[in-house]
Amino acid sequence: MSNEINITINGRELKAREQQTILGVARSNDIYIPTLCFLKGLSGVGACRLCLVEIEGVPRLLPACVTKVTEGMVVTTESPKLKEYRRMILELLLAERNHVCAFCVVSGNCELQDLAQQLGVTYVRYPYRFPKYKVDATHDRFLYDPNRCVLCTRCMRACEEVEGARTWNVRGRGIRSFMITDLNQDWGDSPTCTTCGKCVEACPTGALAVKGRATGEMKRKKNVLSQLSSMRDRGR
Amino acid sequence: MSVREEAPLSAEQVDEVIERFPGRTGDVLRILETLQEMHPLKYLPEATLKYVAERKGLALSNVFSVVTFYSFFNLNPQGRHTIMVCRGTACHTRGSKLLLDGLMSESGGSANGDDASSSFTTPDHELTVRTVACFGQCALAPVVSVDEDIHGHMSDLKLKRMVRGIVKREAKDDNS
Amino acid sequence: MIIRDLDTLNDIRQTRLNRLLRSRPRIGVGMGTCGVGNGAQTVYDALAEALVEKGLDADLEPVGCFGFCAVEPLVNVYLPGRPLVILAEVTPEDVPHIVDEIADGRVPTTKALCRIEEWDHLTGEVRFGRGLSEIPLWNEIPFFQGQQKIVLRNCGLINPERLDDYIAVGGYFPLYQALHKPGGDQIIEEINKANLRGRGGAGYPTGVKWNLMRKAKADTKYMICNADEGDPGAYMNRNEIESDPHMLLEGMLIGAYATESNKGIVYLRAEYPLAVQRLEKAVQDAREAGLLGERILGTSFSFDVELVEGAGAFVCGEETSMIASLEGRAGRPRPRPPFPAQSGLWGYPTNINNVETWCNVPVIVSRGGAWFAGVGTPNSTGTKVFSLVGKVKNTGLVEMPLGAPLKNIVYGIGGGSPAAKRIKAVQTGGPSGGCIPAKHFDTSVDYESLGALGAIMGSGGMVVMDEDNCMVDVARYFLEFTHSESCGKCIPCRVGLDEAVRILRKICDGEADMADVDKLEELAPMIRDASLCGLGQTAPNPVLTTLRYFREEYEEHIRARRCYAGVCEKLYLSPCENSCPLNMRIPAFLELLKEDRLEDAAEMVWLDNPLPASTGRICQHPCESQCRRGDEDAPVNMREVHRYIADTVFDGPLMERVRARLLEDRFEATGKRVAVIGAGPSGLSAAFYLAMLGHEVIVYEERDEPGGMLRYCLPEYRLPKDVLRAEIDVLESLGIRFEYGQTLGAGLSLDSLEQDCDTVFLATGTWNETRAGCTGEDAPDVWHAITFLEQVALGAPPSVGERVVVVGGGNAAVDSARTAVRLGAKSVTIVYRRERSDMPAIAEEVYDAEAEGVEVRFFLSPQRVVTDNDGHVKGIELRKTVPGEFDASGRRTPVSTDEILKLPCDLVIMAVGEKPDPDPLRRAGIHVRDNYTAKVDWMTYKTNRPRVHAGGDLVTGASNVSATMATGKAAARAIDRILMGEDRLDRVLKVFTYENRVPLEPEGGDRQVARHRAPDDRKNNFEEVMLGYGAEAAILESRRCLRCDVKEQCAVKGGTS
Repeated sequence: MSNEINITINGRELKAREQQTILGVARSNDIYIPTLCFLKGLSGVGACRLCLVEIEGVPRLLPACVTKVTEGMVVTTESPKLKEYRRMILELLLAERNHVCAFCVVSGNCELQDLAQQLGVTYVRYPYRFPKYKVDATHDRFLYDPNRCVLCTRCMRACEEVEGARTWNVRGRGIRSFMITDLNQDWGDSPTCTTCGKCVEACPTGALAVKGRATGEMKRKKNVLSQLSSMRDRGR
Repeated sequence: MSVREEAPLSAEQVDEVIERFPGRTGDVLRILETLQEMHPLKYLPEATLKYVAERKGLALSNVFSVVTFYSFFNLNPQGRHTIMVCRGTACHTRGSKLLLDGLMSESGGSANGDDASSSFTTPDHELTVRTVACFGQCALAPVVSVDEDIHGHMSDLKLKRMVRGIVKREAKDDNS
Repeated sequence: MIIRDLDTLNDIRQTRLNRLLRSRPRIGVGMGTCGVGNGAQTVYDALAEALVEKGLDADLEPVGCFGFCAVEPLVNVYLPGRPLVILAEVTPEDVPHIVDEIADGRVPTTKALCRIEEWDHLTGEVRFGRGLSEIPLWNEIPFFQGQQKIVLRNCGLINPERLDDYIAVGGYFPLYQALHKPGGDQIIEEINKANLRGRGGAGYPTGVKWNLMRKAKADTKYMICNADEGDPGAYMNRNEIESDPHMLLEGMLIGAYATESNKGIVYLRAEYPLAVQRLEKAVQDAREAGLLGERILGTSFSFDVELVEGAGAFVCGEETSMIASLEGRAGRPRPRPPFPAQSGLWGYPTNINNVETWCNVPVIVSRGGAWFAGVGTPNSTGTKVFSLVGKVKNTGLVEMPLGAPLKNIVYGIGGGSPAAKRIKAVQTGGPSGGCIPAKHFDTSVDYESLGALGAIMGSGGMVVMDEDNCMVDVARYFLEFTHSESCGKCIPCRVGLDEAVRILRKICDGEADMADVDKLEELAPMIRDASLCGLGQTAPNPVLTTLRYFREEYEEHIRARRCYAGVCEKLYLSPCENSCPLNMRIPAFLELLKEDRLEDAAEMVWLDNPLPASTGRICQHPCESQCRRGDEDAPVNMREVHRYIADTVFDGPLMERVRARLLEDRFEATGKRVAVIGAGPSGLSAAFYLAMLGHEVIVYEERDEPGGMLRYCLPEYRLPKDVLRAEIDVLESLGIRFEYGQTLGAGLSLDSLEQDCDTVFLATGTWNETRAGCTGEDAPDVWHAITFLEQVALGAPPSVGERVVVVGGGNAAVDSARTAVRLGAKSVTIVYRRERSDMPAIAEEVYDAEAEGVEVRFFLSPQRVVTDNDGHVKGIELRKTVPGEFDASGRRTPVSTDEILKLPCDLVIMAVGEKPDPDPLRRAGIHVRDNYTAKVDWMTYKTNRPRVHAGGDLVTGASNVSATMATGKAAARAIDRILMGEDRLDRVLKVFTYENRVPLEPEGGDRQVARHRAPDDRKNNFEEVMLGYGAEAAILESRRCLRCDVKEQCAVKGGTS
């Protein structure tokens, strides 16, 4: 049994349950907090830092996606500082790899695109890196275009936590971090991939896509992963 | 001089090492560290990674993630001799960047200032030049190690002489 | 043997102590990694062999490191009943003597550093013996003064590989004590009372952490020691483990008991093989003695420790990363909460403390929390071990009570700069820390004070930086480090640091603009506030602190494209060129001379420096201190070579050819007219470049001849007047007009000059003397140095009498003293209020003065000039001073004592400084600073009057010849840029083609000694002392150049620039 908790978000007094995250409470009360690495049904990692919020009495900014609510918590989700930081983070992300919507299968269905619109990012103040990573088209059904990857690790978590295949992981560290399959081999040669497509469903951008789709054609099913994982949880 | 054969470690060798670390805390690091040290070319061949993953029930992707995350691990054969230039702060303030640049130009590599853990191996696998974050020998700065022997208060000229000495000695050994 | 009770523990202790103190001599060799790196192993082997050879019954054992790394190898020798003596810098050659002395029952003292009569190990005391008072006690030598060894209580004294050594000095008794307290609460209580804070960096209260851990209930609880000492520049943890591994184990045991934990892990860097080896041995020995494992010391408490070697990832110092690493994954952190005490390794409650935190624990149990809290400051209790490295004489591990002023550590213990350079900053806390500038060295070293400056205590790294370190490069270095160590999980750290590094590289390469600095200042707070873990949150600190304290260096890189420290390679030709205020292209003219192209060399030298013969005699030659040949044997004597080139040109027919070339190099007339006021070195160099750039130049000079201080203050024996005159003749032949007897404010008015000319350049120098402020200073026989030297230069030298006293330590003081010798004074004494190494005068000049019989006395400050009834000087009363606190320059401030020294004399020369005369400037409406110098913009040398620029000593205060000429050159560049709308000066500096080959081995042999007159030959006359190089010497010397200007080795001989 979980107890009811009183918290305040942006001046609104709200009821919440113990073990709920700030993000969960905010979403169920229609308060928008931007997220990227968060995906319902997967474990939270607090990595993209877009969902950072201010909490009274806490000197640091905390990620709403993994921070649990506590009694009397006073949360601010919008402030000039948060707004500026979110914009900078998004701009840095956009400069890191090639996010050219014009030729992207998910254009119009891309979380990164949505975020840029939501946060009003119309220009990027940092120089673009324009990396030229090879696209991995070795898989029968799917494509992996690292140039569009944001390193959110949603594919990796979907693969491990929902499918249990553990095909994806991160190679290297820092700015050289890179999503790989198995021993850094072609996806098509993967001995572990079950071709379930969950990673493709989980991907927020066009980095992972179903083969044979034209620009803007690919649409993802909303909430498919959370449904899968909640079914799994119930099954336990 | 020919590049020495790439000889993966035998299954028995790997098994023995895996058995040496039965506990689960820190075992992956310790097994991989030990295996790399055992390999004559001081690296982890792909076959070894696969075998360890299989024996330990680890995801291949996780093993690859680990060996590329930690700078200790090598995925390529190392040179017969390894010179490590310390890039710690004390060494940096006493000119270790110059040593590294000089060494790179001497051995034909290019100084990759991009990365504190850069490394270069000559095509004949005689020499590997790499950096280390800090030896903790700061009072002797700048410090380099040649095949694990520490040499302090290094200068560009001294270092180049040492490298030439190694190369010359090798040439002599090969002739005799 | 398994230890189950106190009696066994006591037995072991007594047996070992008897052996150590009573029975036979004992030699301990400091065998930490640093000792071994300095040759301790060969010393140890030599000792072992010699002992066998002599058949001497002595114990030879490795010990840890006593901390004074700069003088390793350290060997300590103990003879029963005598003090323990520590020998420093021992070599195998010293061994026979050491062994002979011991065999004869004497303590060897030849290389003695210090002695120890008794030692408080805090867990027990050891009395060695008294005597040998000719050797200082350990805490009497500067390196150890003010140190208090709590963590390092046993380091360098016990054999780290012997458990019984540790027990002999009281080790594991605190554990026994702790295990026999009714509960862990009492221990935590003591830790709280001690107010122990985590030594890993953040300074979180250890007791609070332990309490959380104690409250967490689980069948497995992990106690982890963080020994993944990743801060580059810090090595205290390595030494602590190498020198005294059991203190760490004992600390962990006590902590585990207090928190009811049962599993221990030491996460240790793989880069520290000796520490791994010693700790493994210690764990094994402790297990065998029943100090680890089941039912420890006969109680029901069980605990064991495992070692895991980290594989080279700085981020694993972060506790959640370390946990991920221990679980066999890449060490990426996760957000907290939950904290490890709630859910840590494998989900169990976990507590992580740094090595040094653990090492303090046995002492707190033994001495009590209150005792510990009495050390340090109320908020920062106890001591901290610092690794003091970088640009200090005495490098090593220093353990200080918290709250000691930083300057005592840097200047006192560290002994200041090893190369008499200006110390600029200390970097504390490694990549997470900040750079503290010298002006803040008064700061107390505690958690809060360092934090207030934007730095952190961190793990205790202290890297001292001097004027040769570029602070932009330091920021770039640390950011490159954190950038390459970033795990990549969160965007602010992964991409933010990448962007920041790109900007810093641009600045270091001279490709940035000021908007890049704004971007950096925008990024840094975001990375700090938004990053997931401590690595990203602290990574901007080096940037933020260098921007805060060294912003001018960023501006120099961006606006002037200069790196004065000589680190950012793309911004200079070679270290010598960069250090030369005039940026003479030194390697180029050396090469040209080597290639026997004297005329080319001369043209180049003149274009870079319009007074090459004069500066070739009197320049302070900063180039030499940067010359890399100096690391090999001795720096190239570049000054003498350009003097040789200039002198040779003047002596022969070449002059006309060089003059013709310069005229040819001169730009077409621009129709612009510039007035230069003051014909000193700054005005002359501005005039030269302005003339070369095609402007009409008129130089107005107050006196009858040009040259300024070079003409009127530099004695003839250093700079012959005809040499200077010949150089100025060259300038005149370039069309520069000179008008003499023109004084600013008296006949010469800025207003009318502004009307007649396009620009005015003011360089009227520093001709007002600073007063010493002592009684009797105005007596007739008291001269100020400038007036005195000027009188001599005018050919009307004052009578100096028999005995002369010169007050001061600069070049003017030395010039005055040597001039007085030549005027017939029988005794000349220079008195200076500080010590010799503090003297600003050129060291060679002081040496030459002493060779001529001048006496230099230190720690004396003028008090009163004694005169007779007629007002004639009879003597001077000097107050003795003692060195006091360190000032911002790192020199000790002289503190007056009551002791007065009377020196009889007939003449006193005050040489305590000069400053500009502010009155004419003020009348002309020029803004003047508090020190009377003219206020200018440092990039354009513009004064507040729009068409009036100023330079030379007038704006910098008294400096030296090349520095003052450099301001003239820089002002000429700025004036021309303003007049012509583009930067044209570099086009005057003609480029020559010559061979670019780096010698594989140093060439040219030893440094050439310039010819000079012997003291007896010179002290009675004003003939020039230094006679320079002959042709052969000059060419040999130029061949000594290592050609640092050649960045890429040309494989083929004859490659060109």
